[in-house]
Amino acid sequence: MHKTKRLKEENITNVCEEEVYASIFSSHSKTIFNYIYYKFGNEEKAYDAVQEAFIKLWENCSKVAPHKAKSFVYTVANNLYLNVIKAEKVRLKHREKALNTEYESPEFIMEQQEFKEKLDKALQDLPENQRTTFLLNRIDGKKYAEIAEMEGVSVKAIEKRMHLALKSLREKIDGI
Amino acid sequence: MEENYLAKWLNNELSEEEVSKFKLTKEYTTYKKIVDATNNMEAPEFDMDKAKRDLYQRKEENKGKVVRLNPYKKYLRIAAVIALIVGISYFYNFTGDEVVSTQYAERTAVTLPDNSEVQLNADSQITYQKKNWKDNRNIDLKGEAFFKVAKGERFTVSTDMGMVTVLGTQFNVENRKDIFEVSCYEGLVSVRYNNKETKLSAGQALVVINGELRTSEIANAQQPSWLQDESTFKSIPLKYVLDEFERQFNIKVETKNIDLEQLFSGSFSNTDKNLALQSISAPSSLKYKIEEGKVLIYAETP
Repeated sequence: MHKTKRLKEENITNVCEEEVYASIFSSHSKTIFNYIYYKFGNEEKAYDAVQEAFIKLWENCSKVAPHKAKSFVYTVANNLYLNVIKAEKVRLKHREKALNTEYESPEFIMEQQEFKEKLDKALQDLPENQRTTFLLNRIDGKKYAEIAEMEGVSVKAIEKRMHLALKSLREKIDGI
Repeated sequence: MEENYLAKWLNNELSEEEVSKFKLTKEYTTYKKIVDATNNMEAPEFDMDKAKRDLYQRKEENKGKVVRLNPYKKYLRIAAVIALIVGISYFYNFTGDEVVSTQYAERTAVTLPDNSEVQLNADSQITYQKKNWKDNRNIDLKGEAFFKVAKGERFTVSTDMGMVTVLGTQFNVENRKDIFEVSCYEGLVSVRYNNKETKLSAGQALVVINGELRTSEIANAQQPSWLQDESTFKSIPLKYVLDEFERQFNIKVETKNIDLEQLFSGSFSNTDKNLALQSISAPSSLKYKIEEGKVLIYAETP
């Protein structure tokens, strides 16, 4: 019963319909941008990947079912740079916490700064797939299952990447 | 510790017992610091509105592709345009006249329905009826043309100065401003000028200049020289020679201190402008200058 209802809904909504298409764009464009940025550290490539993915989605809108659209756009974006071997430096912003500077000693602030620099460096040095997985989870709040779908691997493989990523970040920072 | 326990810790999948055990390790402090720091990290800014505008612009540009999926509509449009053009040309040309014309420095060949051939020299026009051609072989001519007429009914070339009638032959008719010239290359041609009929046999020509009629022999008896890219004249006033030069090269000719009525005999090339100017000017000791878009021919005052 439930299954037939779902099928019916899919027939009604179509990616070619402007509203459906626009809603897919607003829910996934930012993640695609970040995803490609984490991989290659290049904003322009990331921006172009978004454009490419959604143009392809539009061209194929009659062939892609709405519930498949998400993995379709990730796949297009991902395939776009399959031949890009060298990633550039991934630079991320650190949101300033509302620090109450009166209570923070200069030493503490310096230590914080030092830590951030070490972390940035350690992130840049991570293997591409570990960094992408780790940042999608930490910054974009993506669940392991979602990342697994995007990357086309098992959830277990994502867990392994998360574990290894955090482990090597710690080792780098503690200077091991 | 469990496999991939760091991933499980981040995902709150560790049991309380495991967590407290983990917190006791010396690495925990740094792990905690890393997680806290990454909670406050951001990717570079992504301007979603701009991305959407860019995307929709590209989508618009790509619309051509979408239309192509429906070729039927496109053909309908083309068909409508063709129908319109045919309709308009029929409306404006309901007499069924075929018109062929040439511009300055242009020549063309026309094959008539009975396979008679017409070579049209520069700045000339013929008009004829395709329908009932076999019964009514009549051509209106302005300018100059060479005819190779297939055997059949009477073939008539009408000009505003005179009429040429033949049965099957080759001949050239020139009808310009004040000049009317018919040259017969094969067979027999009958020329009607001022209600007077003159019969020309092969190798004969008739020239009317300023109302004065005379017949002469043609040197090149095969076909008119212009078909071999030469313009030939025999005792023709220079002004007509220069007119022909203008037609062949599509360039304006200006003259200074020249008697345009002097007669010219000779020929000039229709392909080489400089050679042609030499051929025209040398016999009368004239000089010429090619300027931008025009030619000046002048006599040097002694």
